[in-house]
Amino acid sequence: MAFDTTDIVLSLLKIAIVVGALLQVTPIMVWVERRGSALIQDRVGPNRIGPFGLIQSFADALKFVLKEDFTPAGANKWLFTIAPMFGLIPALTTIAVVPWGRPFLIPEAILYEHVSTIGWTLALALLFLGGGVAFSTVRVSSRGGASKLNVAVGWLVGAALILGGLAVILSLAGLKAVDAIRIPGGNRIFEPIVADLNVGLLLVFALASMGVYGIVMAGWASNNKFSLFGGIRASAQMISYELALSLAAVSALLVAGSLRLTDVVWKQTGYFVIFDTVKLPAWNVFSPVMWIAFVVFVIAAFAETNRLPFDFAEAEAELVAGYHTEYSSMKFALFFMSEYIAMATMSALIVTLFLGGWDIPWYHEPPTFFGFLLSALAFVVKVTFMLFVFVWVRWTIPRLKYDILMKAGWKVFLPLALVNLIIVALAIAKGWI
Amino acid sequence: MLEFIVFFVFAAIAVIFALAVILHRNPVVGALSLVASFFALAVMYVLLEAPFLAVLQIIVYAGAIMVLFLFVIMLLNLQHAREENTRPIQQFLGYTGSAAFGLGLVYYIAKYAALQLPNGPFNADARAVGVELFQAYIFPFEMVSILLLAAIVGALLLSGRLPSKVRAADGEGAR
Repeated sequence: MAFDTTDIVLSLLKIAIVVGALLQVTPIMVWVERRGSALIQDRVGPNRIGPFGLIQSFADALKFVLKEDFTPAGANKWLFTIAPMFGLIPALTTIAVVPWGRPFLIPEAILYEHVSTIGWTLALALLFLGGGVAFSTVRVSSRGGASKLNVAVGWLVGAALILGGLAVILSLAGLKAVDAIRIPGGNRIFEPIVADLNVGLLLVFALASMGVYGIVMAGWASNNKFSLFGGIRASAQMISYELALSLAAVSALLVAGSLRLTDVVWKQTGYFVIFDTVKLPAWNVFSPVMWIAFVVFVIAAFAETNRLPFDFAEAEAELVAGYHTEYSSMKFALFFMSEYIAMATMSALIVTLFLGGWDIPWYHEPPTFFGFLLSALAFVVKVTFMLFVFVWVRWTIPRLKYDILMKAGWKVFLPLALVNLIIVALAIAKGWI
Repeated sequence: MLEFIVFFVFAAIAVIFALAVILHRNPVVGALSLVASFFALAVMYVLLEAPFLAVLQIIVYAGAIMVLFLFVIMLLNLQHAREENTRPIQQFLGYTGSAAFGLGLVYYIAKYAALQLPNGPFNADARAVGVELFQAYIFPFEMVSILLLAAIVGALLLSGRLPSKVRAADGEGAR
């Protein structure tokens, strides 16, 4: 294996982007969850800290850090400590095989030449306007008799315009400096995926099966009956629903003919043409044989991430707090984070397998930096929508009974996924799709 | 160079956790050590440039230990895990037998397997494995599935969860 410095730098950059984005998911989703539940239940929700309570999550995080980190006397110290990490690591690493944008050619000279004309014009215009506003404000205020509000607004607008112009000049200078260094990445295709493995989908399942260990370990190591119940329920539930999840995903990979998730997305960038008039994007969810797999996959994804209506591992009404009853401080926060990060990863998977990944419908993204930005934005929008669906369902559907969960998993979703798989295989063998 | 470092680090992890499986007193820790050991083995497959095998190693072995873990929690009585050793002869036979087996294994591997490394690149992607499995090894593959089916039916029978009609017919036959 030969390594190239630019490859390593690019890989580190991608990892930083992905992990950074995933770690931001938790505070944002906590806020969305609390405000969303308030919206659905006709309450106000947290609105004290920051505008619309936006800073609430940071206050919560600060509180987590300051709380006492308590380990119960009868607990197995080692397992009790590493269990939260075991839960978080699979959730964080699964995203490595998910593509999050259209690949683009890194331009030789970066940007300065493309934007210099517009940039300098904009900067001059901003400075001119700001100067004008400031000058007239000075004149008006010196004459006296003008309302204080008008003067204040004049100062604010003038200052903002001048600062904006200076910021544009500064960023132009920065771009020019970067161009002078010329990072050695020209004429190279940037693949917006951390690891483009040819077994991507299987790696997802492997890591998903690892994710259960964190919960079961926590449940067992806490030496608490409720925790143990939560852990064992989680394991039974995840083993059952993993089958339906995998089978539904297998039909998606049959359509793509590859285990590589980039291939799965590329396969969905075309169109389905119906009656020569309607052009639907060729996303798997619109395929006549694939939407059943989509429904099964989404439901199984809820079960795999332990979200309502399948949150039997936690089940506040029955098990205190389930597997994390004994946890406090940052260890508890880690469980919290892994739940939300697993949700984000599952949403990314749903989007990649069934909703066209980064594909923008009815639009052909150019293979440039701009096209990459647009497609990455489309991916983020789709993932955000799926995350909102997770919240929406949680506050709409009550928890099922445990036997119904098991029956549904083995007697409804597994056969449905199997039958759908056979239909998809037949359709591909006959050349219908 | 990097490959050597990764190899030795993960080989050490695999061996240490494999030892923990048999030496640790707590069966739950043993089961989890087995997971860690298998995970380190999967890294070996990655080093051999066979990511498909690595992923299968994790799904099939490391993932399935979950069931073993549940067995340990639910079926073993962990309170009496530290029993006094009351059977010295069996213990002696066990140690000597496994030592002899291990030595024999090392001997045969050193003598035969090490000499016959496969020529050329190691092809183990999904397609190659699938083609081999469904062409050359189709008979053993199907036999294994029938064996597993028999095991499932046997487990159902032993757990006594038969539908009432079958049980009633069985009862009449006995009479």
